Amino acid sequence: MSPHGSTGELVSDWSLLERVVRKDESALSALYDRYSGLVFSEAKRILRDTGAAEEILQDLFFQVWRTAERFDAARGSLAGWLLVAARNRAISRLRRNTGKTEDLDENGVSLRVDLESVAAQNVLLNKVRTVMGSLPEGQRQAVELAYFEGMSHTEIADKTGQPLGTVKTRIRSAMETLKQVLR
Amino acid sequence: MTNGRHIPEEDLPLLAAGALPEEECAALRAHAAGCAECAAKLAEERGRAALLALAATQEKPAPTIKAELFARIRAEGEKEERYRWPAQADKGGESGRALRQVSGQAGRALAGGTNWWNWVLAPLAAALLIAAVVQWREGRRLEAELDGANQHLAEMVKERQRTEMLLDVLAAQDTVSVKMAGMPGAEKATGAVQYSARKGMVMYTAVLPPLPANKTYQLWLVPTTGTPISAGIFAPEERGTKKIWMAEVPVNTEAKAFAVTVEPAGGVPQPTGAKVLVGAVGG
Repeated sequence: MSPHGSTGELVSDWSLLERVVRKDESALSALYDRYSGLVFSEAKRILRDTGAAEEILQDLFFQVWRTAERFDAARGSLAGWLLVAARNRAISRLRRNTGKTEDLDENGVSLRVDLESVAAQNVLLNKVRTVMGSLPEGQRQAVELAYFEGMSHTEIADKTGQPLGTVKTRIRSAMETLKQVLR
Repeated sequence: MTNGRHIPEEDLPLLAAGALPEEECAALRAHAAGCAECAAKLAEERGRAALLALAATQEKPAPTIKAELFARIRAEGEKEERYRWPAQADKGGESGRALRQVSGQAGRALAGGTNWWNWVLAPLAAALLIAAVVQWREGRRLEAELDGANQHLAEMVKERQRTEMLLDVLAAQDTVSVKMAGMPGAEKATGAVQYSARKGMVMYTAVLPPLPANKTYQLWLVPTTGTPISAGIFAPEERGTKKIWMAEVPVNTEAKAFAVTVEPAGGVPQPTGAKVLVGAVGG
């Protein structure tokens, strides 16, 4: 199904989600087409395992199907929720062997950017890649170890041999740069 | 830890990027849960951090994953339909459909009256009705058994992973054993800790008196410098069992002692209650 309405306009996530609540499979299909690539790529980057990433992808959209009525537009964005939930599940899975299967707070993700169209996604992909590519090596490494490897600042300091304060500053600086670019 | 104050601005990006240790995350999230201002700031920071996902190389999942997703959704729907009969109309289930047909025939046969065929068909239809009910109930029983078996398998896998972790800690070269003794008021209490600083893992057992309502036991790692670090909350073991608890603490934390305190249910970021067990490393 096309993510666009009969008149060609883009159908919003929340309109599609309302239809998913009414068990409209074509609406879920549209949401899947819209976000499956982002979710799958994120999970695969974290787990480096295609099968495990596919499992997380399918479980997440199955959850959307079963519990769509629980999503609250006032609390944030569906795209943001999908990305945070995929990251949390992948990290949780990554750390299963070390026992870090803590409860993960996936609520409340406010995304102030548009990810609903392919064009918007491409613009943001380029922006984020440009930001990451322009960060000093230490900042990029610190933020990647935190986000994609699930390491705490202490673990990052241990791995990189940098003082804890330096690691914290690097992550804050990287996030601030991202904030400035996305503003 | 926030001590009731707002989450420090400098912690928000670290929390959103997943860079804070779980102990700190738990305290900050607990604060945000009750503070609309911090929750809004955190949601915004989380949204920004979520965009880091876009730095990953973009790939498309195999088309079969979508097909499997929708097959799963339909299977789930059919399962729910089956379980709704006979309280609600069973529009999709085979056994329900057969049952309705037989039930209708039996009803018509019994109500027909004058046609002698009814006297032949009525007992036959009734027998078929009973057979269909038996088949439907058997189907439900088998599905319940399958669900139970799947759950059991998941528990076994989880248990195996836990055993591997225990062995991993026990085999670590830096693992130290600490015996904890009961404090005044709980003299009979005992406990033991195995701690690997390199792995940041604590495993422990304890024999303790029953807890009052709304209270929990909480194990603390007392570092050589700094404040105690929570190593988890736990309940006293049941009679005849010997439970081993595991917890993760920041790696390479040098411990000088371990202690167990009685705390409010759910645990606290820093110890507040009475000590019931204490043991010094190397003591």
